[in-house]
Amino acid sequence: MSDSKKDLPDLNDVPEAEVRSRKSHISFSIVWLVPLVAVLIGGWLVFKALSEKGPEITITFKSAEGLEAGKTKIRYKDVELGQVTAIKLSEDLSEVVLTAELVKEAENFLSVNTRFWVIRAQVGVSGVSGLGTLFSGAYITLDPGNPGNIARHFKGLEQPPLVTTDLPGRQFLLKADSRGSLDVGSPVYYRKIQAGQVVAYDLAEDGHTILFKIFIDAPYHAFVYQNTRFWNASGFDFQLDTQGVRINTESLISILIGGIAFGIPQAEAPSTPAEAEATFRLFRNIDAAKERTYWVKKKSILYFDESVRGLDIGAPVEFYGIPMGEVIDVKLDFDKEKEEFRIRVVVETEVERFDEAGFVGNDAERQQLFESLLERGFRAQLKTGNLLTGKQIIKLDFFPEAPPAALAMEDGVAVFPTVPTPMEEISTKFMNILEKIDGLPIEQIGNDLRDTVHGAKQIAQSPEILESIRNLNATLEETRLLVSDLRTTVTPQITNVLEEARQSLANAEQMLDADAPLQVKMNSALEEIGGAARSLRLLMDYLERHPESLLRGKGQTE
Amino acid sequence: MSHDLKTARNQGLISCHSCHLLSRSAGPDAIMTCPRCGTRLHRRKPNSIKRTWALVVAAFIFYIPANLLPITIVVSLGQAQSDTIMSGVIYFIKSGMWPIALVIFVASVFVPLLKLIILTFLLITVQRKSSWRQKDRTRLYRITEVVGRWSMVDIFVVTILVALVKLGGLASIQAQSGAVYFCAVVVITLFAAMSFDPRLIWDTEESLNE
Repeated sequence: MSDSKKDLPDLNDVPEAEVRSRKSHISFSIVWLVPLVAVLIGGWLVFKALSEKGPEITITFKSAEGLEAGKTKIRYKDVELGQVTAIKLSEDLSEVVLTAELVKEAENFLSVNTRFWVIRAQVGVSGVSGLGTLFSGAYITLDPGNPGNIARHFKGLEQPPLVTTDLPGRQFLLKADSRGSLDVGSPVYYRKIQAGQVVAYDLAEDGHTILFKIFIDAPYHAFVYQNTRFWNASGFDFQLDTQGVRINTESLISILIGGIAFGIPQAEAPSTPAEAEATFRLFRNIDAAKERTYWVKKKSILYFDESVRGLDIGAPVEFYGIPMGEVIDVKLDFDKEKEEFRIRVVVETEVERFDEAGFVGNDAERQQLFESLLERGFRAQLKTGNLLTGKQIIKLDFFPEAPPAALAMEDGVAVFPTVPTPMEEISTKFMNILEKIDGLPIEQIGNDLRDTVHGAKQIAQSPEILESIRNLNATLEETRLLVSDLRTTVTPQITNVLEEARQSLANAEQMLDADAPLQVKMNSALEEIGGAARSLRLLMDYLERHPESLLRGKGQTE
Repeated sequence: MSHDLKTARNQGLISCHSCHLLSRSAGPDAIMTCPRCGTRLHRRKPNSIKRTWALVVAAFIFYIPANLLPITIVVSLGQAQSDTIMSGVIYFIKSGMWPIALVIFVASVFVPLLKLIILTFLLITVQRKSSWRQKDRTRLYRITEVVGRWSMVDIFVVTILVALVKLGGLASIQAQSGAVYFCAVVVITLFAAMSFDPRLIWDTEESLNE
């Protein structure tokens, strides 16, 4: 240090620094607060992130159209619940697997019943939805469903469900023979108000019927009773009958996409309200629904040994004019024992109609009763239902003279005895007509006719007639002369009269001319009358307001 | 070699920070003030290493949320998209604007981290009184000081965007918490660089003498 001092001698002029007394020593530097705060904030962030971290779920979809990892949100009632973090293909490439992170609150309601689907813009016949997604992109939404077991893997719905758990109402099942034009989303009407819609349809397990799942919104679900009828209201109903043309439809929409309507037949009173998931039958149309319906149908076989020309499938089976069922099959059959061809007709009868008529009892009683009826000649017979078309129907009736027959069974189906259509009936009618023709007095008529003609001939050839004709000739000649006289004398006079009449008319026209004096006078007279009428009206008005003036005279105006 | 160096400290001299008057040190532990302007005198920045450590640690902690949390949220036509710094960089690379991506990456990710690493390195070497490549280490320090302020570019961009893009429902940009942490990182790092006394790099031999 001494060396350096020598090198820099001018440093001696440097003033001494002033010395201050030492303050208390602070061992802790305040600068450490900065990292402390940083740690606190960092810790708080970590805690927040961990505490808010919700469940991570996977959802599978057929396609990830419009979905994007890191962008697509999961929303429920438009509240953001999470975000899609990754989109991958499944191992077999058949579907996409979305990984999504949800908020913590979602943990409470995610269950096996939770359903996810994608909201995209949709344009359909029944409406437009999800327009907002045109700008914001598709998003995933969910229906929490009823509480159930916890789940983290979900199968997304390809179509938005029509009914979510928070929608008040009730679900019912409808059985129909065919789908018709109904589709998912087809409306269900109650008194032409849309009360719900078709949620799903599926072939029933037996493969014979279609099972529709419909959802009736509150409060209309309360109007579904156990005896409520549902019918297909698709398209429109066109009827031409004695009341004229009638076109009936539920709504324009139902013409386009089909629809279902329900109601109670007017003759019936509402029974107890139907339970949820109750099954109903879906009728073809409103008329079918209005008819009394019979569920139990029984097949029977009828054999006919005659031509069944005009008997179609669907032809009615009538009993005393009431349709009891219909023909469901007609085919040729060969009786090996008798070596004869015959027609095998299968009919389906609504046996409940017999029950309704009081034909009730247990099976044995019914059997007994039925057999006694057979003994009394209860048979089926072919009958012409329509003379114009020649369509045949099957008629049930009593034929006391019919040969005895017993109820046979064939593969568990009853064979009901038939009677042939009697030819005699037709021939008798023919005979009656012929007899009547026979009974006509044709010979007498012929004789009378000949006499009349003869008499006429005699009259025509008599001399009086000839004389009369001659006289007539003379008369005609005279008439001709008279007419020619008339032409020469009377005609000029008529011409004069006409000329005079024309002049009179010209005078009249002059008088009625606009500036004719008569016309002017008439006009002024009419004006006078008009003025008189006005005064009269004023008087009437005054009288109406002051009827007392009739008695007291016109008083002073107030 | 060290004996030949003539530093103020070696000569028992001390310079005022404010008026730069040279005065004679009263002793290594004495508390002194400038005889001319009365400012407190320090041979070196007081508690330089401690302070720098504290700030560097704080900056490191803030660096994590600054990069993980979104710095902006762009609401465009009802679709909100939040971006972190790195997602923005990736976006620009994907859309082919890699020069912009490079600028953002260098200014916002690389430089702050580089500064922190350099400061940490300097602190460790100073504490170990290492005499290794002192000149290069001083150059490193200079780099951190010069380059440090450029990290604020990101914050400026965000603030300008937030102020400018206010198109109602069409598009709007909002700053997010990440921007705050990022700002904290940059500012704290600036302070850390300030509080570090580069003379400490050269104090190794002299302190041996004292």
